[in-house]
Amino acid sequence: MIGRTEMLSLLRDVTAMSPAEATEVYLSGEDLAVTRWNTNYIHQNLSRSNQTLTVRVIDGQRIGIATTNQLERETLAAAVNRALEHARLQKPHPDAPQLPPPTGRPQHEATGAYHEGTARFAPADRAAGAGVVIAAAQARKLQSAGTFATSVRETAVVNSLGAEAYHAGTKAYIRTIVNDGQTTGYADRLAADVGLLDYDDLAQEAVTKATLHHEARDLPPGQYSTVFEAVALSDLLRFLGYLAFSAKAVHEGRSFMGPERGNKVMSELVTIWDDGLDPRGLLTPFDAEGVPKQKVVFIERGVVRDVVHDSRTAQKDGRQSTGHATPFGRWNAGPMPANMLMATGAGSREEIIKSTADGVLVTRFHYTHAPEPMRVVATGTTRDGTFLIKDGELVARLRNLRFTDSMIDAFSRIDAVSGQARLARDWWSTFESWLPVVRINGFTFTGATTF
Amino acid sequence: MRLRADFTSLETLLESALLRGAQYADVRLTTQELEGLSVRNGEVESVAGSRERGLGVRALCDGAWGFAGTASNDPADWQQAVRDAVSIARASATHRKPRGVELAPEPPHRAEWSTPVKIDPFAVPMEDRLELLRLACGRMREVGAVHVAQAGINMWREQKQFASTEGARINQEITHTGASLTAFARGSGDTQRRSFSDYASAGWEFVRDLELADRARSLGREAEQLLTAEACPRGPQDLVLGAEMMALQIHESCGHPIELDRVLGSEATFAGTSFLEPEGLGTFRYGSPAVNITADATIPGGLGSYGYDDEGVEAQRTVIMDRGIHTNYLTCRETARSTGQERSGGTMRAQGGPNLPLIRMTNINLEPGDWTLEGIIRDTKRGVLLNTPKSWSLDDKRVNFHFGCEIGFEIVDGALGRMLRNGAYTALTPQFWGACDAVAGPSEWHVWGTPGCAKGEPVQIAHVGHGAAPARMRGIKVGVGA
Repeated sequence: MIGRTEMLSLLRDVTAMSPAEATEVYLSGEDLAVTRWNTNYIHQNLSRSNQTLTVRVIDGQRIGIATTNQLERETLAAAVNRALEHARLQKPHPDAPQLPPPTGRPQHEATGAYHEGTARFAPADRAAGAGVVIAAAQARKLQSAGTFATSVRETAVVNSLGAEAYHAGTKAYIRTIVNDGQTTGYADRLAADVGLLDYDDLAQEAVTKATLHHEARDLPPGQYSTVFEAVALSDLLRFLGYLAFSAKAVHEGRSFMGPERGNKVMSELVTIWDDGLDPRGLLTPFDAEGVPKQKVVFIERGVVRDVVHDSRTAQKDGRQSTGHATPFGRWNAGPMPANMLMATGAGSREEIIKSTADGVLVTRFHYTHAPEPMRVVATGTTRDGTFLIKDGELVARLRNLRFTDSMIDAFSRIDAVSGQARLARDWWSTFESWLPVVRINGFTFTGATTF
Repeated sequence: MRLRADFTSLETLLESALLRGAQYADVRLTTQELEGLSVRNGEVESVAGSRERGLGVRALCDGAWGFAGTASNDPADWQQAVRDAVSIARASATHRKPRGVELAPEPPHRAEWSTPVKIDPFAVPMEDRLELLRLACGRMREVGAVHVAQAGINMWREQKQFASTEGARINQEITHTGASLTAFARGSGDTQRRSFSDYASAGWEFVRDLELADRARSLGREAEQLLTAEACPRGPQDLVLGAEMMALQIHESCGHPIELDRVLGSEATFAGTSFLEPEGLGTFRYGSPAVNITADATIPGGLGSYGYDDEGVEAQRTVIMDRGIHTNYLTCRETARSTGQERSGGTMRAQGGPNLPLIRMTNINLEPGDWTLEGIIRDTKRGVLLNTPKSWSLDDKRVNFHFGCEIGFEIVDGALGRMLRNGAYTALTPQFWGACDAVAGPSEWHVWGTPGCAKGEPVQIAHVGHGAAPARMRGIKVGVGA
């Protein structure tokens, strides 16, 4: 870990190396440790310390970018020169972005984002955590696979207009699949403070899922009332997050959020927003341009409201950035949500299942994708715990199912939302969002797999 | 063999690892140079370059692995990485496999290898590269409905030194080059995309020969035509895949399920496992007799080609599917030993020094058959021809899959008919390959470069290749959608 003082000082020095009209320097560093186990033994165990420094220069409406993971003075000077050279080769952009000026507001301190216990978590601590889960599986003559990752991430931005921002946060994530040789059950936990992870509770949830109803049944393709646990919902929400909730997607005509703005397209139970300062999520006080995060409401009681912006898309629309710029490397995705939350409703997961006469429970998805971005048509398969619901009970395990459905249509048919929510990471690790359990009426399953 | 590279600093680290009790250790030091250009609607969207350096130490202690990676250049931090790798291995040993890790033998190679490059891509003037991309964008936008035209060129160069406590000393320089084109057309509330991308282990000569401007014009026209094309019909059809689509089909439904670490459960919590169980080796029918699949890291120009993998094993060619029967896997020294093989297949690679090597695809190829695309179409009474990946999704054992394609054509009475949009198909992997009855020959076979294969926790991106030609599968469910 580099630390606030040293990191900002380094970035000021790099900014000062550039003679360009405007220069921005972004540095993101991570100390990551990951322990993975399978069939009750640890097979991969690593630590990795790395960083990416990005120099963005804007000179005469021309933009140049260079990145490096080396922080010696000569390497940094070379990166600045490369960025200048890249800018020089371009023709002026009529809509070249302006760098964001200092906001005049003190940087919002994301209190609670950094936990020393997570930062100092040792290989032996991770092995001990994994050991609790392994022991719980062995006690039932089952096998456990899992991942236990802890990390410290520091991010800082300095630009030549005087904007400065620094943030340090920690993250702890543990997940396991318990396997009886034929059926599997999954559980995960995510928090900034590793001390909040309850290994016994995690193991128990996965063991229960793995051992509930041994023989899996087929379910014919069709539309079913389907209950999604928070992790499963995170994969459905991901499509809306990366395909639709960005101003760049609207500008390019790739998102329904443009033509449908102000229209009611989803269930009244659906309110989704982004807020990097909500303590229920993993706090992120500013974006890759150092702009403070604003709360942005995407869907309010089913009605299309707004999308996220960076400086460039905001400039095009004549408004302020919402603080959702993504890093400007070799490829830039444009503005993206980062801390999504969905409004809760009433009742528990168990009550939602109990009120389902005939349906399906989905624990999580695998390798989802979107063949038709404009309608947000998505497909993917369920895994590690898909169950048939009859008269409010989980009566059978189902072979994994393939869904193919429009997320706009599916979210218009949400008819139950739980009162509790949790932090959930999607399969792709694109987003970490605060999400409830939901039920979608008539969710479309188009096929099944053999296990 | 006398090596040009100096291994002294790496040898010091290996000595430290042994002194700390490692049974085995290896060290990789890498320097990576990347340059990416992107032009959008004729204007430069991004000119970006990157220089990265990193060191990775792998240590085997008490029968278990530990790894530490760092971006630092400081020798003190390198020594710390050795200490970390050893202490992590000791933590792993608290829950190790009963017999501990054993490695299949490999001679300790002392070698140098580099990608054959005719024209150094980094030496080609940036203005020339940008001009080519501007020209391609202009060709795509000759069609009015194309509102976004993007063109990009990417190139990578990696220098890596590998040294092991067994005496291996290997120095490699690997160069990859390629380009991509995308046209988005908008109309009647719909957006359609046509794209092309290809990469190779080669220099600028590869991009020069892609004829980007000509391809761009066709893509623009097709994107516009797709806006008014018929929707792909639904139901079982004889399906002909173009070579680009077949390359991704091979990647997803063969390349991943033959990774032996994945088969043995290493990726269970994330990427999943595999339906190709070791018990079926030599007997399991994966596909029809027309299906011959190889893993070949020695193909000149293949994006998955190299001299030695990241545990010092020489690049090899391995038959994976022999006339439809599953005969082998992608292996490393540990997994080869654990399944009784005499030697690793040499497929371990890491994304730079600070990352842990994993089993990765090399060039995974559907070997050419003796048909032509024209002959396949002429021989098809009713069916669809689909090409170019648009979406892909598979279950966690790689059995059930769904692929979306950018463009399609109906086939009626042995001839191509109307263009089709939003084409998709779904099947179970052995059923799909079992229905393959025609594969085009060498003249239509090409090794497509895929520079974005993701695997592992933390996720690493690998560059891989796929030799593919057009092929036909009978009775596949197409047009699946919402």
